[in-house]
Amino acid sequence: MKAVNAVTSSWPGLGVDRPSFSAVAESELDAVHRYLLLLTGNRAVAEDLTGETFERAFRSWRRFDPRRGTARVWLCRIARSTALDHFRSEERRRRREERYTRGVRESEDSDLGSGVLETALALLSPAEREVVALRVLLEIDGPTTARVLGISATACSTRLSRALQRLEEMMSDARH
Amino acid sequence: MPATDTVDFEREFEELVRELRSLPADAPEGVRERVRSLGEPTGHGAARERLLALPWRRSLLVLAPACVLGLVAAALVHGVVNSDRPAKQLAQARTHRQAAAGDAGSSTVPEKSLNYGAAVAPPFASPLPTPNPNRYQDYEAWMRVRVKDLDSLTDRTNEAMQVVRSYGGYVASVEQSTAAGQPGQADLVLRVPVIHVEDALVRLAGLGTVVERHLSIRDLEQAVQQQRRHILQLKLFIARATEALKGSLPADVRLRLQLQLQEARADLSRATSANKATLREAALSRISLTFTTQKAVGGAKKGGTGRFERALRDAGSFLAGAGAVLLFLLIVLSPLIVLAMAAFWGRRAYRRREEQRLLARA
Repeated sequence: MKAVNAVTSSWPGLGVDRPSFSAVAESELDAVHRYLLLLTGNRAVAEDLTGETFERAFRSWRRFDPRRGTARVWLCRIARSTALDHFRSEERRRRREERYTRGVRESEDSDLGSGVLETALALLSPAEREVVALRVLLEIDGPTTARVLGISATACSTRLSRALQRLEEMMSDARH
Repeated sequence: MPATDTVDFEREFEELVRELRSLPADAPEGVRERVRSLGEPTGHGAARERLLALPWRRSLLVLAPACVLGLVAAALVHGVVNSDRPAKQLAQARTHRQAAAGDAGSSTVPEKSLNYGAAVAPPFASPLPTPNPNRYQDYEAWMRVRVKDLDSLTDRTNEAMQVVRSYGGYVASVEQSTAAGQPGQADLVLRVPVIHVEDALVRLAGLGTVVERHLSIRDLEQAVQQQRRHILQLKLFIARATEALKGSLPADVRLRLQLQLQEARADLSRATSANKATLREAALSRISLTFTTQKAVGGAKKGGTGRFERALRDAGSFLAGAGAVLLFLLIVLSPLIVLAMAAFWGRRAYRRREEQRLLARA
């Protein structure tokens, strides 16, 4: 994890030093993008949502309290909320379209990549992909990840274990 | 950062984790530019944002005790500020009564009544409202005096009767009741000449501890003057009519005049009696005196309660009042609070299920 050691600004109201928004954005952009890419499974959507996430974070930057968690976790919460909003709107759009084009089901194609691992990842559910993203890629600890996902630490651990298990099975199937 | 389970999955799925971490997933330059272009947030609306940034759950932990402390402090201040109220009220009431008694002479109201409530139980060492000697006034006093025991009750009753007689008054009625296990009580109705009422009251008050007192001064001056004017008119009419009847008059006129004269004499008799009654009323004050062995309820002790005790009592009343208001609000608002909480938890549960459904889609 990259450390945010850029410009810091004091927060006189709370007596807390915290980094500047641009420094946080620079250091956490890749992590947020990676998380959204795995969560959505779609590169274009992930890029769009990454931009939207940082715009939201920009608007509510004053609400960020470093004492309550790292900037990465705070951004991941915003990213998750942004992604869920996207899923909701997509679902509404799909339902609307299905009403007029019965039987023809269009789904958001996964384009994580063409490799074995990418294909296997695409077969996981978004919930499984997001726990892998948070725990493995972003290296956020178990309890914090559980809080971000709104589940218990045990459920989080189980979900991660299952996701990795499935991935490994799919990988070994593909290799043999 | 790595926790125990992190170490576990990193060991268990070592190769997979390495592969996952090596996936190219850096943000493209377009997104990077878009984020960079945001710049740095300005301080506009900073105060509001900072307020929103406050951790409300933790703040509540501080705010709730702070509110309770504030309430207790307010109650104490209220108690201390009001603890000297009885003395102030007494002084105000005294000034008011003296002014009222003095002003009664210039009153245009025919019958003026001044009642002084029983909220204050002052020692009788304080000056009493004095009757105005230049006007006719109906002076009434009602006093409740506590005595030590049943023996004292009889002694004090006898002493009170002697006091009244010594001032040229009389005892209109006495009623004494004593029963085993019950507080004894003696009710006396005393009539004392108005000119001696003040002294009589001071002596009567000295027979025990005054726990309650009412005083009433009713101005009778205008009533007496009206009665006198009426009597004078009647006398004049009678004199004229008598004079007229001595002369020669037609039979019917004479008869009518004789009837009117008869009626005027009856009126004069009634008016004179009423006038005498009013004058008697004005000459003698009426004192209703009750001796009791029962301790005063909510009691004014002899010399009044201590300031500290009053302050505590006032503070307690204040807190009780605040508690009652809070309880009332809680009772009134509780259905709304329950509904709001149910709506909040319901919405939260729905959102969670919806999230799970959205994220479970393969």
